[in-house]
Amino acid sequence: MRFSDFTSYDLILLAQGLGTNIALFLVTSLIGLLIGLSWALVRFYRVPVLAQIVTFLSELLKNSPVLVQLFLVFFGLPALLHIRVTPVTAATITLSANTAAFVYVIAVSAIEAIEREQVEAARVFGLTRWQVLRHIVAPQAAAFAVGPLVALMVNQLQVTSLISVIGVVDLTKIGHILNMRTLKPFVVWTAVGLLYYGAAKLVALLGERLETRLRAHSAWRGL
Amino acid sequence: MLKVENVRKAYGEVTVLDGVDLAIAPGEVVSILGSSGSGKSTLIRCINGLERLNAGRITVDDFDVSKPKELAEARKRSGTVFQLFNLYPHMSVLKNITLAPIEVLKTARPEAEAIARKLLESVGLADRADAYPAQLSGGQRQRVGICRALAMQPRYLLLDEVTSALDPEMTAEVLAILAKLAAQGTTMLFVTHEIEFAREISDRIVFLDKGRLVVDLPTDRFFAADGGRAQPRVAQFLSRMRKD
Repeated sequence: MRFSDFTSYDLILLAQGLGTNIALFLVTSLIGLLIGLSWALVRFYRVPVLAQIVTFLSELLKNSPVLVQLFLVFFGLPALLHIRVTPVTAATITLSANTAAFVYVIAVSAIEAIEREQVEAARVFGLTRWQVLRHIVAPQAAAFAVGPLVALMVNQLQVTSLISVIGVVDLTKIGHILNMRTLKPFVVWTAVGLLYYGAAKLVALLGERLETRLRAHSAWRGL
Repeated sequence: MLKVENVRKAYGEVTVLDGVDLAIAPGEVVSILGSSGSGKSTLIRCINGLERLNAGRITVDDFDVSKPKELAEARKRSGTVFQLFNLYPHMSVLKNITLAPIEVLKTARPEAEAIARKLLESVGLADRADAYPAQLSGGQRQRVGICRALAMQPRYLLLDEVTSALDPEMTAEVLAILAKLAAQGTTMLFVTHEIEFAREISDRIVFLDKGRLVVDLPTDRFFAADGGRAQPRVAQFLSRMRKD
């Protein structure tokens, strides 16, 4: 193997890698958010059996390493079911499910943080469970949850780097390739690290704006 | 007619209400007295359907609160004011009051807001419609709580120790409003520790002791030596509560 110096094309490679991470992050966050919130709804409506299953699933997902889950989906499922699972599919399934588990936990604790008395008051005035959810629970729970959710998103963005292990050409994988070619690990990993940092900071900033917006229209600083 | 018939309520082993009978006719003001833990608040929670009965029946204008299909109708007919106000902290005063009329009674928003503003004016809070609960004093919050209940135009107003969390000055604010409502002929079931006030506004006073309704008498008879006071528990309670 011949080692060569950096070229300007490497910047495009890095950008492509980052793009892969961000795309995967956006897709899995959206899916995870939808699944996690629907699990929280199952719990809110106390759907029998399903509520227990959901709690168990989320426990399972958040108490085992994402890397192990990724291996299970990428290597385990094909072996068991004799199907083909591409690296991108495996990454999407695993990260979505992992995000869902944490979204569920955050949503449930945000809902539980709302005083039961308010909900009772609304019920006494004849609001249905759906109306209570829409007007009393959801707006307050959203304000409670947005901080932890943003923290989760920042973390999940970085977790996407794990997919390089199963062969998805993401920013970390590009880092490996450049490192092998140039043998300048300090420069390569600093650059890669800074790119992750920049992306994470962007997510955090957007989250902060959302948070101020969610809380701005209300003067209830008591929370 | 609001009817409580032979109601029994227990939390596990602890019996909180033990065969309570009570009837309130439209226009009546009935006060419920009793020590802490006698079951007063639980009775209110049973009437507005927050607790499931172990036995007996509660009907509000013939709608049975134990039947899921009739509970909604029963709840439309009664309005509750809570000890700790239970306002919605993320909504303005106006929204707190108009939420249920708009969502449950399907009142048009402008009309619901007009009613709410009129109610706020009647309790001296016309200028606080856009404030949030956290910006109000306890007395103001409870006045909003009363407006919120009245906005549903309930036939029966259930008041659960509405002044217990307030200091004497704020208590006076709230009681003044209740006196006005009583004078206007509002039907009220008034759980309270304010004995003197209960005596002024009530048509009848009932006394709960350990989940049993031991006295149900017209107000003047309740305080008479050969009436309510003839009951040792009532006499003891009254002498403890009044510092004379």
